[in-house]
Amino acid sequence: MITVFKWIFSVGLLMAISLVIIGCESGDTAAMQQDISDRDARIAELQTQVKTMEEQAASMAAQPSDQMTPEMTGSRLQTVKDRGHLICASRNDVPGYGFLDDAGNNVGFDIDLCRAVAAATLGDADAFEIRLISAAERGPTIQSGEVDLLVRTVTWTTSRDAGWGNYTQTMFYDGQGFLVRKDLGISSALELQGASVCVTQGTTTELNLQDFSNQNDLNIEALTFEDTDAVVAAYQSQQCDAFTNDRSQLAAISSAFEDRDANVILPETISEEPLGPVVPHGDEQWYDIVKTVMAILIYSEAYSVTSGDVPSAATGDTKVDRLFGLEGSFGQDTLGLSQTVAQDVIGAVGNYGEIYNRNLGPGGINLPREGGRNALWADAGCMDCPKGGQIYSAPLR
Amino acid sequence: MARAPGSFLTGLAYYQGVPVWRHAQIIQWALQIVSGIVVVVLVASFFANITNAIQDRNIPHGFGFLSREYQTPIGQHFLPYESSDTYLYAFGVAATNTIIVSIVGVILATALGIVVGVARISGNWLVSRTALVYVEFFRNVPLLVQLFFWFYIVLTLPPVRQGYVLADGIYFNNAGISVPWPSPPSWDAALVWMAVALVSIIAGVVLHRILTRREELTGKPSYPFLAGGITTVVAAAVGWLVIGAASGNSPFEISVPAPHGTFGRIAGGFTISGGLMALLTGLVIYTSSFIAEIVRAGIQSVGRGQTEAARSLGLAPMAALRYVAFPQALRVIIPPLISQCLNLTKNSSLAAAIGYADLTNVGKTMTQIAPAVSIYILLMVAYLAMSLTYSLIGNLYNRRIRLVRN
Repeated sequence: MITVFKWIFSVGLLMAISLVIIGCESGDTAAMQQDISDRDARIAELQTQVKTMEEQAASMAAQPSDQMTPEMTGSRLQTVKDRGHLICASRNDVPGYGFLDDAGNNVGFDIDLCRAVAAATLGDADAFEIRLISAAERGPTIQSGEVDLLVRTVTWTTSRDAGWGNYTQTMFYDGQGFLVRKDLGISSALELQGASVCVTQGTTTELNLQDFSNQNDLNIEALTFEDTDAVVAAYQSQQCDAFTNDRSQLAAISSAFEDRDANVILPETISEEPLGPVVPHGDEQWYDIVKTVMAILIYSEAYSVTSGDVPSAATGDTKVDRLFGLEGSFGQDTLGLSQTVAQDVIGAVGNYGEIYNRNLGPGGINLPREGGRNALWADAGCMDCPKGGQIYSAPLR
Repeated sequence: MARAPGSFLTGLAYYQGVPVWRHAQIIQWALQIVSGIVVVVLVASFFANITNAIQDRNIPHGFGFLSREYQTPIGQHFLPYESSDTYLYAFGVAATNTIIVSIVGVILATALGIVVGVARISGNWLVSRTALVYVEFFRNVPLLVQLFFWFYIVLTLPPVRQGYVLADGIYFNNAGISVPWPSPPSWDAALVWMAVALVSIIAGVVLHRILTRREELTGKPSYPFLAGGITTVVAAAVGWLVIGAASGNSPFEISVPAPHGTFGRIAGGFTISGGLMALLTGLVIYTSSFIAEIVRAGIQSVGRGQTEAARSLGLAPMAALRYVAFPQALRVIIPPLISQCLNLTKNSSLAAAIGYADLTNVGKTMTQIAPAVSIYILLMVAYLAMSLTYSLIGNLYNRRIRLVRN
């Protein structure tokens, strides 16, 4: 009997193994053809969808678009509305981006972006749930589609865009730097010859560090930790000589040190780190919605509309009126958003500048903004004298 | 139901004169087949589900990335590693890190566990109570908490620039312990010599065996140990000189650690990094508390009469334990001991929390630029291979010490 059982078991195991092999083998050639035909099918499907939506939009041009959504059953917007709250993957351990305030609320720049999307889709900026994940979990979490939005200081890179999800809009330009103790007496990252450097696991930081070390022949030794807390502890007890991360995070973290003046961020920026929200692959409507919400935040700052003075009646300024749903449209109905979505968003969360100042500016970790990359490009008051920053999005019209 | 001999249906309904639905053998067979089908269907649907989900969501998969360059740093590594090495090799480097932790950890935890387990049943009140407190404390605190505790203990050591210099070339600080260590100027010569050394050890052992047998059979003094030892040393030394002459410098040289550069980081020699120290301490202490209980249970499972008989034959208490009680206890100890060793190996995957580059730590880093599903499949296969090897070794040993009934 036992031998029979062993035999059956080994047959089962063999089948399992061969299934794995088949699954992996077919991945390359067959899957690609499958992909192409899938994509064609999806394009056709989307075209018909667009056509029906255009027809519907034309037929009920004047009506509010809330009735649009039943046609989109199965879409993420519908899922979010049915669920009643938005699920964002984020963090609670870095001041300015996502951390717990004295009252125990999860607040920060990333959290505010999540609130803006909740306000836009559900009309309630507090209808959201934060799922706390580590840096290494970001890819698998968004790939599986279990969250609606990933806003956890995620750098936009091409391979992540291809493999993880769709990057919507750069909301913060960051760059990797080094934090060192002043008593080491070094003033440039190029002097880190033979240094031991602490890194958080599962970030592009490790790749950039290796590139920087190779390019400049520095022979840097990396100590990799799973969590930021352990990295900070190792840095503070000088187990490593330097701590590398995005400069904004270095500023945020070191602002909480008791001996914050004994540390200095070295001038070199060794990488481009554009940060912004990411949505799961496979739902174009949801992708466009999040991009539009980010555009609302940016343009209401450009038009100098703050949470305190959201217009509820036409102001006479066409652009402002269009943004706040008082005249014309910028595509709300096609996206399944309410006509006055911007009133909900800006009234509850504030414009881009307010979010920045509250979390990263004077009200938060005090990162300078004027004249830097995170200033607005557009200046509504003066078309010919842009502010020179890189915060810019598709125009709302 | 009346029996109708000779009819075709009866032939089907009866087997060896018993109705099939009541025939023990047939019922057993049927159950085996049904459970076999259930297992196969479950496994098949599980994998079909995974492959479908992967394709539906366009999650990257496949193993093509293994031959690409890894280009990411690995903290401590025992095999030589450069950022231009491939993923596959980096995976091997990380696996070696894990294997070293598990081998050293298993040896230390077993030794410590036996000591504490014996102390636990000691007649000395203070010793046995201390062992009890040790066991109950360390096996009832979660391992991750203990690892963080040891990690922060290591961090309280002085940093590298103010570290202790214990002796010439031995440095002790929160980045680790560095000691002088043989290091080869070129790996080619070193590997050749290591092969020669292995052969000479085998030759020595074989000679030792032959001479022991001869001594047993003929009674002539043959000095097996001396002869075997001399053979090994001489063969290895000749190999050393020949290879040294052929390649220009000796196969191994002693590398003495010394501070280097602006930051005074210790280079050269052999370094047990701070993360490895904390990891080994945590794993060894945690696992030894379980092993101690296994050892105690094993010794106590041997009948009291055995020890009493040994004592009445004039054996000292320790000798009675060592020659009479312990060998019998081993039969009970070994199977659960194997599973503790497997636990230690698997628990070493918590290393990522405290900055040691073990297999899981490096694997998790790899998921940033390589398909996560494939990486985790590889991780599972690697741990499975490691654990099954340990199991096999343990079971072979267990078979050897098993009570032979004749």
